[in-house]
Amino acid sequence: MKKNEVASSPVPDHVPPELVRDFSLFTSPGMPPTVNGDPHAAVACVHAGPPIFYAPHNTRDGRGTWVITRARDQRRVLQDTETFSSHRSIFASALGETWPMISLELDPPAHCVFRSLLNPLFSPQRVTALEPAVRERAIALIDRIAASGTSCDVMKDFAFPFAVNIFLRFLGLSDHRLDIFVGWGKDLLHGEPVKRSAAAQKIVSFIDDLAALRRKVPVGDFMTFVVQAKVEGRPLTDKEVRGIGVLVFVAGLDTVAAAIGFDLSYLARNPKDQEWLRSKPERIVLAAEELLRAFPTVQMLRVATKDIDFEGAPIRKGDYISCATMIANRDPAEFACPDTVDLAREENSHSAFANGPHRCLGSHLARREIVIGLEEWLARIPAFRIKEGTAPITHGGHVFGIENLILDWC
Amino acid sequence: MRIIVDKAKCQGHARCWAHAPDVFTLDDEGYILPGDIKVAMGDELLAARGARSCPERALEIDGTAGP
Ligand code: HEM
Ligand code: SF4
Repeated sequence: MKKNEVASSPVPDHVPPELVRDFSLFTSPGMPPTVNGDPHAAVACVHAGPPIFYAPHNTRDGRGTWVITRARDQRRVLQDTETFSSHRSIFASALGETWPMISLELDPPAHCVFRSLLNPLFSPQRVTALEPAVRERAIALIDRIAASGTSCDVMKDFAFPFAVNIFLRFLGLSDHRLDIFVGWGKDLLHGEPVKRSAAAQKIVSFIDDLAALRRKVPVGDFMTFVVQAKVEGRPLTDKEVRGIGVLVFVAGLDTVAAAIGFDLSYLARNPKDQEWLRSKPERIVLAAEELLRAFPTVQMLRVATKDIDFEGAPIRKGDYISCATMIANRDPAEFACPDTVDLAREENSHSAFANGPHRCLGSHLARREIVIGLEEWLARIPAFRIKEGTAPITHGGHVFGIENLILDWC
Repeated sequence: MRIIVDKAKCQGHARCWAHAPDVFTLDDEGYILPGDIKVAMGDELLAARGARSCPERALEIDGTAGP
């Protein structure tokens, strides 16, 4: 494919050399797995530079992208879907195919049709109804941790089982295959190419089989809703059902777990904030927004549909444009002292869940999970810290994450 | 105080509603209802906070209009 040839080619001719920077969310310092890393701080330094620059190796497969650093400019890109398209087939490309994940890789107007279909299922009102189940799950897991000692690996023992259970339940799946699903997600996001396509293939077959099953025997769950749904007066095609199923499966797999990991890691290292929040649980809702601002996890990529000069940079049709939430959320023009975590920050219009029509469909669910996770953790686990002799390993990439977080308490 | 709603910009973040559910009303999909909002005196603080939390900048505060 031509696109892959572009990948290995040097900086394209239309990019002025003075706009090229040695920067990559995949390979810059702090981006590969790093002991005691702080990948968010590592990227925040771009604010000392220009509003837009070109990074020659800034995708998983080594392609160059423009990098938009200012929050205001990122909004402009993300709100202008006519110029900056989401049509990339990221997932299918791991299989050498080109079907889009729905709604992530569609542009308006098709995007709106599917968002209208899915929005009511993920609305804030609907998520409120799920709250008792989410809380019950958090309590069960934390009580088990508290009963079994004074130390645990937050990622393995709490964050992953919690987040993945909730969203499997949302999809209508039991969690006896939870570990397998988490493994697929890891391979897909962070594995090398062979592992990636194997994982992608497994997820596709799993979703296809599930859809077939729900067609035959409907139950009241998410996939049943999707196979029975109609858009523009017609049922969905098999590819559309797959596009939706795969996206929801992938999107909820490790984003929430990573957020909880970064949050508890911050609190473990900042005992004053930890104690303040424990004594003022009513402040957790706002504090969670600040933690989402300071430790967001997703980089968004767009493709230019036409030539456009953007803040002096010659973007050409087909160029990739990166809008990294971790960069926007540290923009000093929008947040006072952006590198300081201020759990009492009141007005916090961060973009952890994106801007524009692709605003995270699961954002209301994710927020409730994070808040409830923190509430129940702080209520049940006394003053905790990073266990001596252990060190969390963090990484950057397409989705930032934390691999292990071993805490202890007395 | 009045809040000017740019419905076309709303992407359903529901941050406004999270701060002031009595002031901002969402539709079934979780997006704001069209039409500017008159804010009662007692709700002004939370309403302003909600408006300033909108990630899309869809809500503009018009402080000149009385309640
Ligand atoms: C803290 C956790 C999460 C974060 C930080 C996050 C972040 C994001 C971001 C930044 C996007 C925009 C991507 C783009 O436009 O290229 C997005 C899209 C999406 N997210 Fe999330 N997400 C989280 C959790 C979830 C969960 C739990 C679900 C599902 C249950 C979910 C489902 C989706 C879907 C379906 C989209 C595509 C929306 C569209 O394109 O219309 N997310 N998410
Ligand atoms: S915060 Fe903004 S985008 Fe979100 S619902 Fe309110 S008006 Fe819409």
